Amino acid sequence: MSGNEVFEMVSERGWNRGLNTMLRSGLARWFKTRMWWIQCLIWGSLIGLLLAAIAFNPEPPPSEDLLMLFTVFAGLFPAVGVVIIMQDALVGEKREGTAAWVLSKPLTRPSFVLSKIIANSAGILVTMVVVPCIIAYAIITFSQKASLNPLGFIESMGVIFISHFFFLALTLMLGTFFDSRGPVIGIPLGILFMQQNIIGFIPALGYVLPWNLVVPIGSSTPLVLSLMLKIPIPPGQLITLAAIVIESILFISIGLWRFNREEF
Amino acid sequence: MNPPNPYVIETHGLSKTYKKFKALNSLDLRVQQNSIFGFLGPNGAGKTTTIKLMLGLTHPTAGTASIFGMDSVERSVDIRARIGYLPQEPHFYEYMTARQTLHFTAEFFFKGPKKAIDERVNEMLALVDLEEKADRPIKTFSGGERQRLGIAQAQVNYPDLIILDEPAASLDPLGRRDVLEVMSRLRKYATIFYSTHILDDVQRISDTVVILNKGELVAEGPIEELLAGSEGVIYIIHLKGETEPELKKVQSQPWVSGVKTSQLNEETIWQVSVTDPDAAETHLLKLLVNDPVLVTEFRRKQYELEDVFMQVIEGGQNVRK
Repeated sequence: MSGNEVFEMVSERGWNRGLNTMLRSGLARWFKTRMWWIQCLIWGSLIGLLLAAIAFNPEPPPSEDLLMLFTVFAGLFPAVGVVIIMQDALVGEKREGTAAWVLSKPLTRPSFVLSKIIANSAGILVTMVVVPCIIAYAIITFSQKASLNPLGFIESMGVIFISHFFFLALTLMLGTFFDSRGPVIGIPLGILFMQQNIIGFIPALGYVLPWNLVVPIGSSTPLVLSLMLKIPIPPGQLITLAAIVIESILFISIGLWRFNREEF
Repeated sequence: MNPPNPYVIETHGLSKTYKKFKALNSLDLRVQQNSIFGFLGPNGAGKTTTIKLMLGLTHPTAGTASIFGMDSVERSVDIRARIGYLPQEPHFYEYMTARQTLHFTAEFFFKGPKKAIDERVNEMLALVDLEEKADRPIKTFSGGERQRLGIAQAQVNYPDLIILDEPAASLDPLGRRDVLEVMSRLRKYATIFYSTHILDDVQRISDTVVILNKGELVAEGPIEELLAGSEGVIYIIHLKGETEPELKKVQSQPWVSGVKTSQLNEETIWQVSVTDPDAAETHLLKLLVNDPVLVTEFRRKQYELEDVFMQVIEGGQNVRK
């Protein structure tokens, strides 16, 4: 149609067409609305207040126990938020009709799915990992009157994020298979809260579930704590870390394949 | 060199089955460039399924759809780069404003310049009379306002083909009139393919009409030809007085193929089917004016689209012109 001569047309071709537009919109959803500070407030205050209540107790626990509690809080609680946000990213859009609307534009399906992963990962990293961890770092440092190794702390934040990313990828994959919210929320939350029991029954599953990264199993030290304390990392935990990364990639691949077959 | 294809949309045996339900059965369709193509049918006829197949939102069970000469499955993204689409129930991101929604839509097509995109967005907001509400979140919008925003976003990219699924569904009469005006204006630049239940609108602005029923094409053709009816030319005559002798006189004319009579109060009504409309126009009334009957009404029967629609939907007739 005439009229568009003055415009510089989008020239992207191939699988990533529309990705930039979707990414800008997804990041704006996180960082140009109230969403980022509401999530920071929820997870920062939840983890911070719990930790502060314990750390500033007249009889505070030893620093190692405090760090252990921090890894459990930061590694498990926000995962619930990850599942709830990610189910809305796909099932919510399918049910509300916005997915069909944006896919009627020159946008590929892989771009749609990847934009959800990248934008939500960025939002989750900042609001559910970095901000609560910085608050926790300050509380731990002040209460113990000692500073933690910053590099070890940053590495441990990375592992916490990988643990959350496992649930992000799992929820996204389930969102491509189901149109109702029940299984998409229920299955990841079931895994999140039942991991300990599952590993109790079949210990080998400890290598493929993220529990071991953030919560101690028996007398072992979780990976996050090992990194913070700069103590030697047991090889089994590195296997778990690698398995979680591989599983997350697998979930995303399956999700991309399934979403390509989706009918609107 | 091949001549340019005059058809923007071509489907061949296009079919879609959901489990055991045949939503669309072997649809053959051709839509000419720069036409306004009305796509009619009762609920569940397969209109929205056809549109989704053309956009690549769903895949055909059999057959093909070609838009701008490109296959709807293989090249759906390239096709969508030249289309503007309004869904039946438009859903947008609720946290965005109308202006942000139009910017978001425009960015799928245009990289810049920013000033030109801003101007286009403002032009679209003015077109659908949403300037005052441009910076309010969509969650505060009424159904009609959402529909208007839907119409704006479908045009923001200067599309070559505009597909509108029930564009006037949630609009008041003034809004409907505005939409029809916009569609008529756009015909110069684009082909318009739209589905609707509002037969009056179709009759007013469409060039060509297709009627679908239960997934099958039951009528198609230029609007004038469909409105001419499938029963041939019929004259309606209202008479008062003794009509029996005149009836015999009329029936004996070589260009009269039949006369149906009925009674309404004191009037007798004839429906005279003719084989030669010119002869009928010249002689039919003259046969009656000199006799002791009073002709109170004389007209050629005009079909309304609603008549054609009801005939093909309820009567199971198949009308192709």
